Amino acid sequence: MVNLQPDPFLNELTGMFERTTETGSVWVTLKRSSLKSKVQRNKMTTAGEPIEYRCLIRATDGKKKISTSVGAKDHQRFQASYATILKAHMTALKKRERKDKKKAAEGLKKVGGENKKPKRV
Amino acid sequence: MVYITSWDEFVDRSVQLFRADPDSSRYVMKYRHSDGKLVLKVTDNKECLKFKTDQAQDAKKMEKLNNIFFALMARGPDADLSEVTGKEQMEAQPAKKGRGRKQ
Repeated sequence: MVNLQPDPFLNELTGMFERTTETGSVWVTLKRSSLKSKVQRNKMTTAGEPIEYRCLIRATDGKKKISTSVGAKDHQRFQASYATILKAHMTALKKRERKDKKKAAEGLKKVGGENKKPKRV
Repeated sequence: MVYITSWDEFVDRSVQLFRADPDSSRYVMKYRHSDGKLVLKVTDNKECLKFKTDQAQDAKKMEKLNNIFFALMARGPDADLSEVTGKEQMEAQPAKKGRGRKQ
């Protein structure tokens, strides 16, 4: 597990998406974490220190694991870049099936209409 | 675990699950380019919610869920989501109008 700064993490994530186009998958996990051990957390609680939580982001392609974390102040910038990467690489998903369905429905109607017309004539 | 078919149900239950136990909940997305499949999972190790899709329009919905979870996890489970969802609604409305005009 390589812990990276948010920007290098996003670069690595892009690489993972590019390497898995032919075969393989990419997993991205989001988890709320204090990034501290339970012992440390317990110590802090008894000492009355507030525990700061961050959003831990982990990614893997099944071979390599990378991780980063974002806090309350910097998560918005990260999530915008993350969304851009997802948008750029999730290109294998089917687009606008609704439109196709409409077209198919229209096609059927046309076919149906054509069938009806000769019948009327 | 059976996949949840309704997106809205998946979002509602996911957020509920996270708020009930923020420290042991995680949100996983799996993307498989070769099959064009996207699976989202939210679990607290007791209950597991999954959503599967091959539609690009669901990826847009996922972006909103990502924003919700980033906010919940980075700011805390009591974070006000109205800001996140409010912005999306404002963004979603002109987008819908744009689509309407094109058609």
